[in-house]
Amino acid sequence: MYTSVTGRRSFIKKMAMLSAMTAAATMFPGIIFAKEQEEGIPKGNLDWKKAPCRFCGVGCGVLVGVENGKAVAVKGDPKSPVNKGLCCVKGYHSVMAMYGKDRLTKPLVKKNGRYVETSMKEALDLIASKMKETIKDHGKDAVSIYGSGQWTIPDGYVASKLFKGCIGTNNVEANARLCMASAVTGFLTSFGIDEPMGCYEDIDHADVFILWGNNMAEMHPVLFSRMLDQRLKRGVKIIDLATRTTRTSMAADRSILFLPQTDLAVANAICYEIIKNKWVNKSFVEKHCNFSKGLTNMGYGLEDKYKFKDKPEKISFKEYENFLEDYTPEKVEKISGVSAKDIKYMASFYGDPNKKVMSLWCMGPNQHSRGTWMNNLIYNIHLLTGKISTPGNSPFSLTGQPSACGTVREVGTLTHKLPHGVVMNKKHREFAAKIWDVPVENISPKPTYHTVEMFRALDRGDIRFMWIQVTNPMVTMPKLKRYRDGAEKEGRFIVVSDIYPTPTTDIADVILPSAMWVEREGMYGNSERRTQYFEQMVNPPGEAMSDTWQLVEVAKRLGYEKQFYYKEETHIEEIYTEYRKHHDNKKHNMAPLEVLKENPGMQWPYVEGKPTQWRFNSKYDPACSNGEEFHFYGKPDGKAIIWQRPYEPAAEEPDEQYPYWLNTGRVVEHWHTGSMTRRIPVLHKAMPHSYVELNPNDAKRLQIKTGDNVRLTTRRGNIVLPASVNQRGVPAPMQVFVPFFDENMLINEITLDSFCPISKEPDYKKCAVQIEKV
Amino acid sequence: MRKRLGVISLFVILFVAFITIWNYSYFKGKEEAYVPIDNSRLIPIIPSETGVFQRSEYALDYASMPVDKNHERVLDSYYKNRAYHGAPPSIPHPVSDERNMGDNSCLKCHQNGGFTEKYKAYAPVTPHPEMINCRQCHVSQNTSSLFKETSFRKIVVPKVGINNALPGSPPVIPHQLQLRENCLACHAGPSAPKEIRVTHPERVNCRQCHVLNNKEVKDIGIFIKKNKANE
Repeated sequence: MYTSVTGRRSFIKKMAMLSAMTAAATMFPGIIFAKEQEEGIPKGNLDWKKAPCRFCGVGCGVLVGVENGKAVAVKGDPKSPVNKGLCCVKGYHSVMAMYGKDRLTKPLVKKNGRYVETSMKEALDLIASKMKETIKDHGKDAVSIYGSGQWTIPDGYVASKLFKGCIGTNNVEANARLCMASAVTGFLTSFGIDEPMGCYEDIDHADVFILWGNNMAEMHPVLFSRMLDQRLKRGVKIIDLATRTTRTSMAADRSILFLPQTDLAVANAICYEIIKNKWVNKSFVEKHCNFSKGLTNMGYGLEDKYKFKDKPEKISFKEYENFLEDYTPEKVEKISGVSAKDIKYMASFYGDPNKKVMSLWCMGPNQHSRGTWMNNLIYNIHLLTGKISTPGNSPFSLTGQPSACGTVREVGTLTHKLPHGVVMNKKHREFAAKIWDVPVENISPKPTYHTVEMFRALDRGDIRFMWIQVTNPMVTMPKLKRYRDGAEKEGRFIVVSDIYPTPTTDIADVILPSAMWVEREGMYGNSERRTQYFEQMVNPPGEAMSDTWQLVEVAKRLGYEKQFYYKEETHIEEIYTEYRKHHDNKKHNMAPLEVLKENPGMQWPYVEGKPTQWRFNSKYDPACSNGEEFHFYGKPDGKAIIWQRPYEPAAEEPDEQYPYWLNTGRVVEHWHTGSMTRRIPVLHKAMPHSYVELNPNDAKRLQIKTGDNVRLTTRRGNIVLPASVNQRGVPAPMQVFVPFFDENMLINEITLDSFCPISKEPDYKKCAVQIEKV
Repeated sequence: MRKRLGVISLFVILFVAFITIWNYSYFKGKEEAYVPIDNSRLIPIIPSETGVFQRSEYALDYASMPVDKNHERVLDSYYKNRAYHGAPPSIPHPVSDERNMGDNSCLKCHQNGGFTEKYKAYAPVTPHPEMINCRQCHVSQNTSSLFKETSFRKIVVPKVGINNALPGSPPVIPHQLQLRENCLACHAGPSAPKEIRVTHPERVNCRQCHVLNNKEVKDIGIFIKKNKANE
């Protein structure tokens, strides 16, 4: 962007030209940026191919530079509407994750406690025979598959078809249960249909951003940069509402801290203020909303075989208003530690009819023992004010994995789900069975185990065979020790498909080497309902094979050749085309593969050749059919629900013996369990190990300084970590924070496996801990 | 009579006007009180995280500033001014007032920079304007002779253009951040050494892409997974 100037006249001329150029550059951020990045790359035989980024749920478009069969460079795809040419440090170095020296290249089979190399054919034969044997001895529900939001769409689809359609067990779960389940149940209870109504473009329209427990500067940096860009251009406001002070707080216009779990009360107080000040959008609420309440005192799922079913009950606006009397800002100030003024301050933005407000959240409200409620409450605020489904007015639930939406939520790789609908519904079963070409009786009408319960069943022996793909539960399960011990018991057979040795491959009986990301063909679906295709760009190492094809090979060995008719060369296309049939309706139609190949992804519902940016708004969404401006067609009566959800305490709160709150999370450099990012030298050098963040006052009192070893003890066990004071983040007094990426310092050994009774998603953000210097 | 009526109606009008205005201002006041910026509860400031956003309000100005090729700073002279890489630079010009604090003298030029006719150069912008006792660390060089010879040798300074892992990937940060948290102060604007001037100052969240390569942490050595499959 810089040019040199010589004479005064040309200086002025160039100045004018430049300001025009900058205006253009800032209007289309990134476009010029990517060009510059390319100029820095030496001219060679680089072949640039497009793909969605391998890491988080933002789903940035990247261009991978391939030279002589190796991926050697990455740049942001300027054509992608997601990131417009910008990536984060993980994206720019993502290709290096394929070239770690300890890459798994051969199948390993455990024999007498040692792993022995074998051929792919033998390993797959063994898996198939073990599955047959387990089904014969212990029944269908003794075999299970545990997948991931990092599964491509075809991976998840064949897994669901094999287990639910062919074998006939609903033992299909994915790690997205640990991160997105509350978002799903939030959408289903409030709107009756999953996934955000808005899209990333909302950022370019909104005037105020309220981040609910979301450190976006580190976790969704590309979207955060888009917000910062808007602030430079339009002076938008960013409000960080969180339990911990982070990089996001430093960048925000205002940072408001609340005590863990009290976000429930804060959200209700905002609703109270909106009603009290008559900021309710009356015509919107009358036309498009119902009020409901559900059961309370639901418990926390700490005991085995815990069951809960909500009983929704319609209530009147008056009853809802009376309920909110308990949540005046003054009362909530006492519970939450947020000043009444701050609550009114936030409410005034939501209430101001001239301000467009976007709420963003991710793991804060989701990994919450009342996660479904928390999602409902944020929607309440937007529904009461009618600030929803229009450009810039957007409650936006972010995701953390590249295809949590595309695979787990849309393909439906959860125990109760089918690609279209749920297993409990006869019509949905018939519909799926027809496309899958299986007898409808094959699909069991009863959901079996959600993730935590599935690992408990493995421990108990109800499940005997588990196939784990693209995820690392032996780092991510809460109260880890119980589930690791359970998985290591005699008579359990565990298959793990991965690209590197991890703590999860340690418990495997068979380790299958997988082809990752652009070593194969596939699709991901990101947070804004965008499905993105990537081709195979490089060859996988050794005998590594895609997860899709591993499953197809085993399915064939189990005798399902008829259903798994796919040819090796064209299987991805065949599977995707078959999968699209499940969503062949105006509410969810997926774009055909040709369209995905040509475009930087396409948003569903894709109707008559057009993506839908804002759902439920008749101006943009062709599925709206009630003749009104909005139509919440997920519910039978076309109305969204405003839920009466109270504040309830967390499962385990600090007490005398364990006086601190323990919170866990991520850092910008590492992604998920670090099995990929830690093998990227740039990222490992920037963040080599985990740590425990302390509040400076607590640290001073305990005479702890950065680098000192600190022992954290909970009712589950203890772990020693180096301290971090006043570094990346600062927790509030009497709270500590630990990132979970480090497999040498497994924080989940001591976390609690309490979960949201509706979504069954564990609360990784809250348990009680004791700290001492060692 | 008519006169009296006029006077009365005048007062009535005044009274009504007063009520209206009073009412209006009362509600306005209430409303304003409703959007209060309450600074009573301050959040902790994280030194390593806050600086990066400090000059971000000037980011667009930086992006549109043309470059004055004749008066550019270069990295060579930038390092020459420091005893070693990372040391506080010395003051290369005469100091006007020996007793003044920084906010009255140094910051006049070094807070926001700008061209100085006297030295025919752009004043470098300080990354830490909140520290006003400038000459606690920055001293002038009043003689070129030495008291005694020294055997101290400068360490090798980081080079430009070799700090990226992949072709075209964002370079890592080869220097420590303490007192240099504010990236734009040294990496943007006309006073930035031309070799390290950023091409995209409008991308405010610098450390989204550029990470440290010299983080002071416990050395855990090379990351080796103690894994059964590896044995």
